[in-house]
Amino acid sequence: MKITELYIYLLYITVIICTILFFVKEHYIIAGLLLLGNSLPGYAMAISLMEKNEN
Amino acid sequence: MINEHIYRRFNHTVAACFVIYFLFPQYILGINRGYYLFLFWVLILAIEYLRLNKELNVLGMREYEKKRLASFVWFASGTCIILGMYEIGAFPQSLAIATIIMAAYTDPAIGEANKKFGDKGGMIAGLACSFLIFQIILGTLFYSILGSIIAVIAEKPKLKWFDDDLAIQIFPITILTILSLIEGAPSLPQNVLEESL
Repeated sequence: MKITELYIYLLYITVIICTILFFVKEHYIIAGLLLLGNSLPGYAMAISLMEKNEN
Repeated sequence: MINEHIYRRFNHTVAACFVIYFLFPQYILGINRGYYLFLFWVLILAIEYLRLNKELNVLGMREYEKKRLASFVWFASGTCIILGMYEIGAFPQSLAIATIIMAAYTDPAIGEANKKFGDKGGMIAGLACSFLIFQIILGTLFYSILGSIIAVIAEKPKLKWFDDDLAIQIFPITILTILSLIEGAPSLPQNVLEESL
């Protein structure tokens, strides 16, 4: 399970790095799509992770 | 326990990040980036081989995926095919980017809407989501409308030997590319990203 958690954090890092790279290269539309599309499932995933850690 | 349903959805949407490939330089450490793409695909197949042989436990798998190829393999294969075809000049960059992002978001959108509003709701959500992404990236109404219809139709059939995660990528991009080559068809932007890292 620890590996899965690390993998989930890696997913977050991937989204953040990709968004920043597109933003830096002034491809704002792609950067925006990556951020917006992942925000809702990312938020839900974070809630699930927090609940798991509380238990 | 981690919510496996949300985990699956998040994995799916993160797949949109595959478009970072287009920012990579053509040669990395003197090796063409196409070879790295092939290596990545082999890695995915190796993980799936271990999973099917019960040597690796992968979270978020559906019940029916226990004895058949998992959806992440289908999705990654579809994306690798698109990127490979782009490398040999078969698919335009604009369509490759639009299709990968569209597939990453539309499939979960259809799934969620199906659950909440039924089949019709799922279809409408799929059409809206894919149309929006095609339109934002391509900016051509003709390809956006057609692409979204093809994507939703491709996603619909549930076949054992051909997953919707592959179909939702391959069918729209192939049909739209062929259409764009026909004389008199509306012009399609070829490149949306000019600069690499």
